[in-house]
Amino acid sequence: MLKRFIVGAERVLGFHAPGRNVAVFPDDTFLVSYPKSGNTWARFLIANLLHPQADIDFSNVNRMIPGIEVTRNRDLIRTPRPRVVKSHQYFDPRYPRVIYIVRDPRDVVISQYHFQRKRKVVDDQFPLSEYVGRFVSGQTSFYGSWGEHVASWLATRHGRPGFLLLRYEDMVEDTPRELSKIAAFLGVASTPETILQAVERSSADRMRTLEKSQAQLFSSTKNTRQDIAFVRAAKAGGWRSSLPEEHALQLDEAWAPLIRWLGYETVLADKEPVPEDQHAGLFVGERP
Amino acid sequence: MFSRLIGGSKMLLGLHKPRRSLKIWPDDIFLVSFPKSGNTWTRFLIANLVFPDAPVGFKNIHKLVPDPYGTSKRDMERMARPRIIKSHECFEPRYPRVMYIVRDPRDVVISQYHYHRKCKKIEDGYPMEKFVDRFVAGDTCPHGSWGENVGTWLTARHNDPRFLLLKYEDMVADTQRELGRVAAFVGIKADSERIAKAVERSSADRMRKLERAQADECGLTKDSRKDLSFVRAAKSGSWQKDLSEPLVAKIEDAWPQLMVFLGYKLVTRGTAGQPAEFSSLVSSGV
Repeated sequence: MLKRFIVGAERVLGFHAPGRNVAVFPDDTFLVSYPKSGNTWARFLIANLLHPQADIDFSNVNRMIPGIEVTRNRDLIRTPRPRVVKSHQYFDPRYPRVIYIVRDPRDVVISQYHFQRKRKVVDDQFPLSEYVGRFVSGQTSFYGSWGEHVASWLATRHGRPGFLLLRYEDMVEDTPRELSKIAAFLGVASTPETILQAVERSSADRMRTLEKSQAQLFSSTKNTRQDIAFVRAAKAGGWRSSLPEEHALQLDEAWAPLIRWLGYETVLADKEPVPEDQHAGLFVGERP
Repeated sequence: MFSRLIGGSKMLLGLHKPRRSLKIWPDDIFLVSFPKSGNTWTRFLIANLVFPDAPVGFKNIHKLVPDPYGTSKRDMERMARPRIIKSHECFEPRYPRVMYIVRDPRDVVISQYHYHRKCKKIEDGYPMEKFVDRFVAGDTCPHGSWGENVGTWLTARHNDPRFLLLKYEDMVADTQRELGRVAAFVGIKADSERIAKAVERSSADRMRKLERAQADECGLTKDSRKDLSFVRAAKSGSWQKDLSEPLVAKIEDAWPQLMVFLGYKLVTRGTAGQPAEFSSLVSSGV
């Protein structure tokens, strides 16, 4: 009863994070991804691009690009419009415009494993093999499995206006190019100089330095183990050296057509060739 | 502020509708569809099957097969388990088991048009062409477009043991057989006599009679025009006479692959292109 009273009071005051019940405005753009796919980095990039006069760091990024899972409802509603709003939700038909970041699931699983260690959800001895199994069946997050999440957005919005698909790997390879795509999508005037400035201000090194002094000021790092960093490798393809092949295979077996469609190499391919056209009819629109 | 206070107090007492905040239990089974695809009929069929001694009608359907948008949180939590819960949501990974009803979108759009007239959302003379445009754009209800709703579920769950796909057209053609599939999925041992009885008690004629008597006691029909009925034709294929060819073409152009995959024959296009392949897309992980 007391708990219900607190929840009720929080709701009246708008102190709750609305999550999937968020009120959507017609001029909103949502920055969506499965967790551990480069969303925080993208928020820094976009915030630095939109607010070149501000000093974007972990203490204010939640205010510039609010997140429906972390920001209080009253702050979300008071964010100046048009808003760019961060979300980890699987397909929500109400989102008018969406920037969707996808990342190789074999890197996502490793990143998530370390993040859960940091958050003390799993301990250091937790076997990776068991973690991969839980990851495949969607038990490691509130947002469905990686495959369910990615497919729910691609099947509905890819190839249609108002949807920008970005690969984390492309963002790592050529950050200015990908940020320019975001700027064009958001309708923000940019020059090579302003893009470059935002990229530099959001570099992994700078974010690491900020994290060291601001860990308690950011929702994702507050009250977590400080011996494990939130900004980790910031690279693509780390799974090749740190994910045992049997686990890479497990992910392949779960989502091979999707992984291939996204242009990620599968381990399976060497073992049993799959016809090229298997993924041809999956989604409307070009492969990335 | 005042309305927020009322909202907060209702929440305190559990009288609010939980909607997307519904607390889901691992033994829940969801009955999902895009609106106007036979969901209410199926709720009646299931309620009559599960509760053969209850007088199933419009006034108590919300308590037998509840709706998170129509049933209070308190009632949802006090129900006998396992619960069978109605929903119109697009893919929701938290739903443990799902029966999904799909219906030919060319019939759905007609049904929705009349339902919107009944709910006074559009006037009688509202141009069908305009409605079809909005339908294709997903602008006629808060649950996505027909293609988004159907597509997300098929993409994520087709061929998964936790998922049962039902076609409205099959249910009309052989209700007994399809309700048998539902019974097996839900885990009810029902002989053909019990199934036949549930089918009979959920017939369109009987539902029409119940609607006339109980329209004001059900959220689905309360506050809507009484000169239009909620239970309408209860048939499949009426688009062939009620929908002009250009409008049929608009719908077929929107979702050709999905329609062909589901066996809805296209009449305005030669080819659907590469047929969509959903079965191998996403692992069930079970």
